[in-house]
Amino acid sequence: MSDFNAAAFRQHFPFFAAQPDWIYLDNAATTHKPFAVLETLDHFYRQQNSNVHRGAHKLSQMATILYEEARSCIQQYVNAAEPAEIIFTSGTTAALNQLAFGLMHTVLKPGDRILISALEHHANIVSWQLHCQRFGVILDVIPLDSQLQLDQSAFEQLLTLHPKVVSLTQVSNALGTVLPLASMLQAAKAAGAITVVDGAQGIVWDKPDLQQLAADFYCFSGHKLYGPTGIGVLYGKRALLERLTPLLGGGEMIEQVSFSHSSFNHLPARLEAGTPHIAGALGLAAAIRFISQFDVSQIKSYKRLLLKTFHDGLQHIPGIVVLSPWQDNAGIVTLNLQGEHSADVATLLNEQRIAVRAGRHCAMPLFDLMATAGAVRFAFAPYNQISEVEQCLKALTQAAEILAS
Amino acid sequence: MTMEQLLSDTATALAAIRQQDLPQLQQPLDWQSKYRLLMQLGKKLPAIPEKMRQNEWLVRGCESRAWLLHYHDNTVGKHYFVLDSEARIVKGLLAIMLSFVNGLSQQELKQLDLQRAFDALNLKPYLSQSRSNGLNAMLNHIRHCLNE
Repeated sequence: MSDFNAAAFRQHFPFFAAQPDWIYLDNAATTHKPFAVLETLDHFYRQQNSNVHRGAHKLSQMATILYEEARSCIQQYVNAAEPAEIIFTSGTTAALNQLAFGLMHTVLKPGDRILISALEHHANIVSWQLHCQRFGVILDVIPLDSQLQLDQSAFEQLLTLHPKVVSLTQVSNALGTVLPLASMLQAAKAAGAITVVDGAQGIVWDKPDLQQLAADFYCFSGHKLYGPTGIGVLYGKRALLERLTPLLGGGEMIEQVSFSHSSFNHLPARLEAGTPHIAGALGLAAAIRFISQFDVSQIKSYKRLLLKTFHDGLQHIPGIVVLSPWQDNAGIVTLNLQGEHSADVATLLNEQRIAVRAGRHCAMPLFDLMATAGAVRFAFAPYNQISEVEQCLKALTQAAEILAS
Repeated sequence: MTMEQLLSDTATALAAIRQQDLPQLQQPLDWQSKYRLLMQLGKKLPAIPEKMRQNEWLVRGCESRAWLLHYHDNTVGKHYFVLDSEARIVKGLLAIMLSFVNGLSQQELKQLDLQRAFDALNLKPYLSQSRSNGLNAMLNHIRHCLNE
């Protein structure tokens, strides 16, 4: 039994008082924001607002200190070796795009291979694909086995092709599957690859220890971790970050510019062109301080309790086809009603004020592999209550009845 | 199934929808009945056979796919359509839209106030929130067909 107090946790989020009629189960798309984050944003803009790293004036220096404190806060949370290994981006997608672009120009040469998995979000497919053809780099994909888990023996085979980069999601956004990252990353490192983790969904499931995990790069978004939208992180080992070609030029990333040549600033500024999302960085640090008050393992077991309640309830609804695994699941259940389109199911849930997502969840290749036109995704967060899961099950039963009539 | 047959079945279905279903939708209904009615109404339209569901006629909604076939009767200057969706509720909403636009001339279609027509059926929210259900995408496609 978990000692996690979900009701008390929920009290931190003003959204639920503002929208008392809604049951929000679209947490894999974005999470709600606690008071601590909202107050940080408000306070910054009202009382501390200035640009960073620029003004000689004290206000700018203050803003710079806050911004760099936010970086250190995140560094400590993910246990990076130093603050400069935390690069602020607009989110996971931007981080992956910077990474793919940055590696193509330096590390990756024609004929090199990149290995991703069949469970990737489009951001961890397309950001590589955009450059592969132009640079003559080959993208390989770890296939799924019949249980929709990654085929580990195929993975071992693909590693013998010596991919230069292995880029894997921590948690499937479409199915909730938690990948066996520790062993896969170790195997990838042993095969000589640079390892990348898409932590967009994983960051809210587990607290990463980046000096323990064999990841050279780790990307995540603030807004899926109770932080603001528009802020995210590209973590990288210093030596590798220094090899990345900047995707964006201008602003603080410059050391010296002439019309014929420019030289770049040191990390992290080198990869943070333009005015950063200062308030967002502070908000993300506030989110991290907020979540640090709670025990990750207690939150995990509470999420498992929500999943179990959902699982047990689903047994009483005829025609449910669950695509997600129940073991090693980060709190996302994707399912269909036999013979029905997911859009119809989601429409009927929306009518009953259950917020879920339908479709292919930015993972079209995965849905092609499963030969499924789409599915409805229920993504749970620790502020969800058992009673909400029960109400959601009732709504799903009602939807099934309407569709069957 | 030929295009001719599809056009004729669509016209028959739309006539029935106009006569039987639209008046029912104007009655006060609980939400469950409204959706049942929408799905029944969608079912009246003929299905576009798999082999005719080609990419050039595909209309992408955010969550579901639909197909639109267009026929322009040059002799009378009127436009006719056949449509289908893989989602049943969407197909019902599209059938209602089609009941207003099928057989109109380009000029008549320009003058049509679809917002108002949907409002009269208590369906206005479905037209405005339609990025996900693809109603707007379909409407844009229909307009595009007329300009060709």
